[in-house]
Amino acid sequence: MELTPDDTIIFTLGGIAINATIVNTWVIMALLTGVSVLITRNLRPDVPPNRWRTTLEVIVGLIQSQIEEISQRRDGRLLYFTGTLFLFIVVSNLLTVVPGFDSPTASLSTTAALSLSVLVAVPMFGIGSRGVRGYLRTYLEPSVFMLPFNIIGEVSRGISLAIRLYGNIMSGAVIAAILLGVAPFFFPVVMDMLGLLTGVIQAYIFAILATVYISSATAPAPPDDAKNAKEQT
Amino acid sequence: MSIDWITVGAQIVNFLVLIWLLKRFLYRPILDGIDAREKEISERMAEAAKIREAAETAEAEHKALIAKLRAGQAGALDEARAAAEAERDAILAETRKRLAREEAEREAQRAEEARRFTAELHRSGAEALLSLTRKALSDLADETLEERIVAHTVTRLREVADELRDAAGDSREAVVLTRAPLSPEATERLVNEAASVLPGFTLRFDTDPSLGPGLNLRLGGAQVGWTLDSYLDGLEAVLEDRAGRAATQVTQGSTDAA
Repeated sequence: MELTPDDTIIFTLGGIAINATIVNTWVIMALLTGVSVLITRNLRPDVPPNRWRTTLEVIVGLIQSQIEEISQRRDGRLLYFTGTLFLFIVVSNLLTVVPGFDSPTASLSTTAALSLSVLVAVPMFGIGSRGVRGYLRTYLEPSVFMLPFNIIGEVSRGISLAIRLYGNIMSGAVIAAILLGVAPFFFPVVMDMLGLLTGVIQAYIFAILATVYISSATAPAPPDDAKNAKEQT
Repeated sequence: MSIDWITVGAQIVNFLVLIWLLKRFLYRPILDGIDAREKEISERMAEAAKIREAAETAEAEHKALIAKLRAGQAGALDEARAAAEAERDAILAETRKRLAREEAEREAQRAEEARRFTAELHRSGAEALLSLTRKALSDLADETLEERIVAHTVTRLREVADELRDAAGDSREAVVLTRAPLSPEATERLVNEAASVLPGFTLRFDTDPSLGPGLNLRLGGAQVGWTLDSYLDGLEAVLEDRAGRAATQVTQGSTDAA
């Protein structure tokens, strides 16, 4: 039994093995992009919105409102980042019910990549908001002795994000596979339904935590930090 | 459980590409659509507010116009009613005037008819009386009416000779007026009697077809003679008196019966 789709090699391209994780990620990317293009291709103010457009507007509006509730401001870049995180993870998790489809989020490489993205995005958003010195100064708070602990906390946040998402999705898939062998008629269905719920919740948690991390890094700086950032620029 | 770092790198690239794709095909179109719709809704609401304001203004103007029209309508009704009453009064006055005129015309026509009837009756009565008198005189006395008229005139001439002379004044001519020329015998007798009663006076005989049967001798301001009209007038007075008595009796009979 393969615990991760990384081990399933679909084809090789230029000596690089393209595994099921990457291919399935492409499938999800194509699905999300295709649906978006189909729905938004005829989007004009003079055309009344149909039910699909309204559905997309509701989804995007919910994501935006959640981000605004957390960050207390409207930020388009944060919407693009965390909204894409949520949509990618939730679609991946929901597609675990498709027979033969290995969810990319069941791969630790995928969750690690997403966590690394968040880890990189947090300082980038923080630097973009506070400046380099203003952001680095946050590692010295409340005192300089807290620098190693802040660095460890930053790294452990990424690791916890990756392990949490991977563990939940992979374990759900593994448990469903095991129960399929033991009791093939009832429990796998229940576990799949539970897996759907868990997948949506995990996608929500991942996106919310990423939003919280980025928002904490981009929160308005104290007067001293703002002054330093102004001097730096 | 292991991490394939090539896969990690590929997934990071995939994720960044997905961010770009969704930003290009999902977020921006949707957010721009929402913003455009919100803007359009705001514009439409502003436009609706303007239209509503204009509609309220138009409604107020319309109501004022209706009130004005109603007030004018009431005034027009009063004017029309007054005009109608004036027209009615004018028509009534004109009708009354026309009725009075027609009544006067009818009254005049009735009077004319009565006059004609009376004249006809007078003429018929005169002819009948004259005829009867002639016949009676012819049958009973073997005389003509003209002879009796002349005899009557001679008798009256003798009675009032003095009064005639007094009334003659400076005039010395008496005029004998009849409807038709007198017979020679009657003329001669009348001339002889006048010469004896009124010496110095001459007689001149004259005729007037419009006169009734009879004879008039005029001297100055006095006259003497006999005419049938005087008799007919007396007969008419008697008839009217009889008719009045008959009407009074009929009225009393009706009152007693009631």
